[in-house]
Amino acid sequence: MISNLHYTVQKKPSYRGDLMSDDIKIVGLLCNWCCYGGADTAGTARMQYSPNIRIIRVMCSGRISPSMIFKAFQEGADGVFVGGCHIGDCHYDAGNYKWSRRSKIVEDILEEFGIEKERFCHDWISASEGEKFQRTMEEFHKTLTKLGPLELE
Amino acid sequence: MLEIKHTLCPVCSVGCGINVVLNDGDIVGTFPYKRHPVNAGKNCLNGRNSIECYKNKFQSAIVSNSEEDLDKAIADVSKEIKSADSSKVTVICSGNECIEEIEAIKNFAESNGFNLALYADDLANFDEVASYDEVADACKVFVIGDLLYENPLIGRRIVHAKQNGAQIYALVKAEKSVTGNIADECFNGSVDEFLSNNDFDESSVIVFNQIDSPEDLDKINALNCKKLPVFSKPNTKGALSIIDSKSKEELTELLDNTKLLLVFNDDIVEDIDFDFSKISKIISFATCKNNTTEISDIIIPIKTWLEKDGSFVNAMGDAQTFNAVVESDVLSEVEIIDKLNG
Amino acid sequence: MSYVLAKSQNDDIHKAGECGGAVTSILKYLLDEGLVDGVLAISPCDDVYDGVPTFVTDSEDLMKTAGSYHCAPTMFGDLVQKYLFDKKIALTAKPCDMRAIEELITRHKVSRDNLYIIGLNCGGTVPPVRGRKMIDLFYEADPDDVVSEEIDKGQFIIELADGSEEAVKIHDLEKEGYGRRKNCQRCDVKIPRKANLACGNWGAEDGWTFIEINDEKGQELIDGAKKAGLLETKSPADAAVEGRSKVEGIMIKMAKNSQKASFPLVNEMDDWNRCISCYACRDVCPICWCFENCELNKSYFKDEANIPPTPIAFQGVRLSHMSFSCCDCGQCDDVCPMDIPVSLIFDKLQKKYFERTGYVAGVSDDIKPPLYSPEKTEL
Repeated sequence: MISNLHYTVQKKPSYRGDLMSDDIKIVGLLCNWCCYGGADTAGTARMQYSPNIRIIRVMCSGRISPSMIFKAFQEGADGVFVGGCHIGDCHYDAGNYKWSRRSKIVEDILEEFGIEKERFCHDWISASEGEKFQRTMEEFHKTLTKLGPLELE
Repeated sequence: MLEIKHTLCPVCSVGCGINVVLNDGDIVGTFPYKRHPVNAGKNCLNGRNSIECYKNKFQSAIVSNSEEDLDKAIADVSKEIKSADSSKVTVICSGNECIEEIEAIKNFAESNGFNLALYADDLANFDEVASYDEVADACKVFVIGDLLYENPLIGRRIVHAKQNGAQIYALVKAEKSVTGNIADECFNGSVDEFLSNNDFDESSVIVFNQIDSPEDLDKINALNCKKLPVFSKPNTKGALSIIDSKSKEELTELLDNTKLLLVFNDDIVEDIDFDFSKISKIISFATCKNNTTEISDIIIPIKTWLEKDGSFVNAMGDAQTFNAVVESDVLSEVEIIDKLNG
Repeated sequence: MSYVLAKSQNDDIHKAGECGGAVTSILKYLLDEGLVDGVLAISPCDDVYDGVPTFVTDSEDLMKTAGSYHCAPTMFGDLVQKYLFDKKIALTAKPCDMRAIEELITRHKVSRDNLYIIGLNCGGTVPPVRGRKMIDLFYEADPDDVVSEEIDKGQFIIELADGSEEAVKIHDLEKEGYGRRKNCQRCDVKIPRKANLACGNWGAEDGWTFIEINDEKGQELIDGAKKAGLLETKSPADAAVEGRSKVEGIMIKMAKNSQKASFPLVNEMDDWNRCISCYACRDVCPICWCFENCELNKSYFKDEANIPPTPIAFQGVRLSHMSFSCCDCGQCDDVCPMDIPVSLIFDKLQKKYFERTGYVAGVSDDIKPPLYSPEKTEL
């Protein structure tokens, strides 16, 4: 799955030009059962949200390992969003609990590498919450535009 | 039963110590040899992988691509040697062999009137070389080649020099160089320019594992500073004290005039750009597969360094002895030469 | 948990061993009774600075492992896990060895039933090459004349062949960059309480070994060795128990002080630009056990053209795999050809994890590290 990221996110050019908010690259790892459905709902309802997000569907947020997040940043993502089912709604019982704990470690590690914690965001969004998906994306995009592109050494 | 034994790393001429882990007599891994003064238990990837050659070693002699009885194969070699015009026979030896073996090969070549050749990365033996500690204590370190990546345990001394406040000047040819990353100043261009554009003094050390041309060596030799040439094979320094090395040009010339080539524990095909199909017979004495054995007519298996006792001279001139880690009934090069001599 | 003072009944062992020679006697008991296939311990190879892990199967050979070696920063976890996992063995374990083994047990790489673990209290180890240089610089003695070393009362003491001793304060040595390894200075686990027994000289009378019995298996060992006539025991005085915990307390306080000083952010360290991607830190790590199957070897992570690697794609991935289980043994620092202080960031992340979860690698009683527990809890 991670290898897909190669195709999703191109390596960022090394120059630091004027940043258009269109240049922001967001990788979204969305759970098949909830958040992916949420994105679908948003799409079907023609809700507008930033087109900068590249969505990768995963079967469960509990399937996401920290290294996937790091890989996305290393490959040029400016922000990574993870969407899972609400606590209690996991299709596989406890996957989102696992992700929730794991996300704390991701935060701790990202901080070490000089990646602002705002660049990594996760939320619980159900399949019916198209509007929440739209809102979350818009807010995340706004935050990232403010932060500018990520410069890893 | 689990055993851990000391030996030396056979990868390059730094002379690191390495511990080998044996389980029920099988070589299964390596373990840091923290007591060793050269590397204090640190080994690069190549060093830790060096035991692979034991697992992949030739199990029998090979004649014309098929397995052959060892005695018969040695008899074949003898026959080839006897029937050849000795002035057209070339013996290649290398820094992969220990001192004792190189001496035996030299005697063998000289007593039979064969040509003897040694390739030493186009570098030469300097009478006085800087010790690793002197690299670490230098005020200025000049580096030619990516020492940090290619010879990390000397690279580490360059890092220590930097931590001690030294200036590091690196000649960087590749697009990426780890040495370049820690250098205070990087140069690209020729070795000649690098030497003439910098000031060398007694507190400087020049460390190098490659040069452009033989003239560069003379220029380095004339510098008023300490020098440390680093070779790609563990005992090249020791070999150079017994045999003079040949440059690529000299070797090509010699190979042009060779009908029978005997290669002792070396991969000359890898080192020299030459059309080896011009040579009518190539005989390899080798531990495991390499580019030279691929085109050899006869391959005689020899002891890997894990199976033999001997001594290496490292880049800074320290003779270090090592003992066999495993017992084996494979013949050593000395024993094979005895057989060839009859 | 209970305390006992023990002394070997065998004169040779008592003489060769440290303190009361209890550890060697217990190991002898285990071998003689056939309770184990072998014993993993340290024995000096070329000299006292050259402690090499040795697997002993005959109790006659145990004598060479007697005594303690402070210039032997070895790690047993890896050896047990790779080569001895299917044998019944006894081993001596410093706190970091014990913590590593505990984490490996958690990962089902080693079975507790196969192990008798004789813990050794540890004030820290000294790297051999640097240790020799230190003796050369700070002591009158020639490093080659040293027959044994000892860390006691805040001093690093060497004993020479003629029986004389020299001592220098550890604090003075460490101020100059010598003394114990950096991670030993930071280490605040000085007594391996997860081992069956924890042995040492803290609080012990001369010629006796102070043993903390941590579990039933440990009690059985003491009882068995006594019954076999190998060990003599007595109860320690209250003052001795108190003295021991005082030493431990001072050691931990010293460690906490060193912890204050260290721990930069990864992206503030310029050390990473000399990483040569040799994977020595990963390969030596007792917690990392996947080897060929390591995620870093996968085609989507392997980036051979990129040397030095982007720190987050190399150490970041390793951190996410095992930093919460880092036992701060410092092996990664020891084997790094480029002298990068790798363990700093792993230890730092384990400490962050501790703040979040209360989990101390190889010390806490959790069956699984919280990250891998199936429980429905959030942090």
